[in-house]
Amino acid sequence: MANFNTHFVVAAGASAILSGTMLSMEVIEPNQAVMAFAIGTFGGLMPDIDSDNSKAISVGFTVISLLITILLVFVKSSTYSLIEMLIMGGVVFSVIRFGFIEIFRKISKHRGMFHSIPVALIWGVGTTILVHIFFGLNELISWVYGFMMSFGYIVHLILDEIYSVDLGNRRMKKSAGTALKFFKLKSSTDKIQNLLIYLTLIALFMIAPDTSLIREALLSQEAWINFKDILLPYDGRWFFH
Amino acid sequence: MNKKAKKIILLSISMLFAGCVATQSPKPTPTTPPKTNGVPIRMTDYGYPPQNYKTTIKNYFANKIRRPEMASFVFSKPHRAYKRDGLAYGGNIVWKGWLVDVSIATQSRSGRLQTPKPYMVLFRGSTIVEDILGRHHQLITRVGD
Repeated sequence: MANFNTHFVVAAGASAILSGTMLSMEVIEPNQAVMAFAIGTFGGLMPDIDSDNSKAISVGFTVISLLITILLVFVKSSTYSLIEMLIMGGVVFSVIRFGFIEIFRKISKHRGMFHSIPVALIWGVGTTILVHIFFGLNELISWVYGFMMSFGYIVHLILDEIYSVDLGNRRMKKSAGTALKFFKLKSSTDKIQNLLIYLTLIALFMIAPDTSLIREALLSQEAWINFKDILLPYDGRWFFH
Repeated sequence: MNKKAKKIILLSISMLFAGCVATQSPKPTPTTPPKTNGVPIRMTDYGYPPQNYKTTIKNYFANKIRRPEMASFVFSKPHRAYKRDGLAYGGNIVWKGWLVDVSIATQSRSGRLQTPKPYMVLFRGSTIVEDILGRHHQLITRVGD
C-alpha cells in the first residue's frame, strides 16, 4: 500500500496534468485551474480517511471541519457579531474535528467501502452540488471541480492496486482487489452498506446540475479534436510562436 | 290583543329585521393593473427591458472571450428573471431584472470554428450585471411573461 507522501505526490502530479490540459483546452480559466488542482490533490488523500491512524484522516477532517466552519460563518456573517461567529466557529470546528472523527473511526473500516468506485463518485457529485448550490458556480465549473475530486480519489485507488503487486516475489499481495472495487458483499452488513451507498449516489445524481456542458467540454467529439489541437504545436513550430 | 293589532306588530317586526339584512354591496369594478409601456405595474420590480442589448453584450464579451473578433453571436429576447445568492451567502434574492440568452461561437486557437457556448447575461436596466455560462442554473428562476 502506498504511503501518505506517495499518494500526495501522485495525486498532485496527476491533478496538475489534468487541470493544465483543461486550461489549454480553454475549458477553464487560470484561477479555476488552480482550484481544480487543489481539489484533485485533496481527492487523492480522501480514501485513506477511513484509516484510523493515517495522516489522511487528520488532514481530511481538518479540511472538512474548516470548510463547514467557513460556510457557517458566511451564512451568519450578516446577523452574527464577530464574537458570536468566533464562538460558533470554534464550537463547530472542534465538534467535527475532534468529535465526529472519533465516531467515524469507530464506524469505518480501512479498505472497506471507502476504497470503492461508487464512493469516489459520491465525493465527486457531492462536490459538484456543494459548489453549484452553495457557492453559485456555473454548471460547467461545478462539474469540473466534482470531476477533479473523483479523479484524485480514483488515482488513489489505482495507486493502491498497483502497490498490491509484489514485483520482487512476482505475486499479488493480500490487499489486491480491495481498493478499486464496485461493491463488497461478504457479510449482510456489507450488503446494506452497498445498498445505502448506491441509493445515495442515485439521489445525488438526481439533484445534481445538468451535465450537458461538461459532456460537451470533455467527452464530445469536439473535445477530442480540441485535445488533439493542443497536443502538438498547431503551426508546426516548436517554442517559437 | 286583537288579530289586527297582532298582524301590525308582526309586520313591523319583520320589516325591522328585514332592514337589518345586509344588502349586497355593489360589485367591484374589475381593475386592470395600469400598464407602463406594456409592462404590468406588478412587474416593474424587474425594470424596463434593456435597450440595445445586442450591442451591449457584444461590447461586454469583447473583453471576456478569446479571439472576440471572430466570434458570432445568437441572441434570445430578454426575459424577466431573478437570481438567488448561493446558500453559503444566505440564499436571498440578489438580482431581479432581465436575462438574455446568448450563444457565442468562437474559433479555437488553430482557427477551427467551435460549437457555440451558451451564456445567460443578466441585466439591470441596460447595464450588464453578470454573465453565467450555461442555459440554466439552479439559483436562477425565469419569470413567465
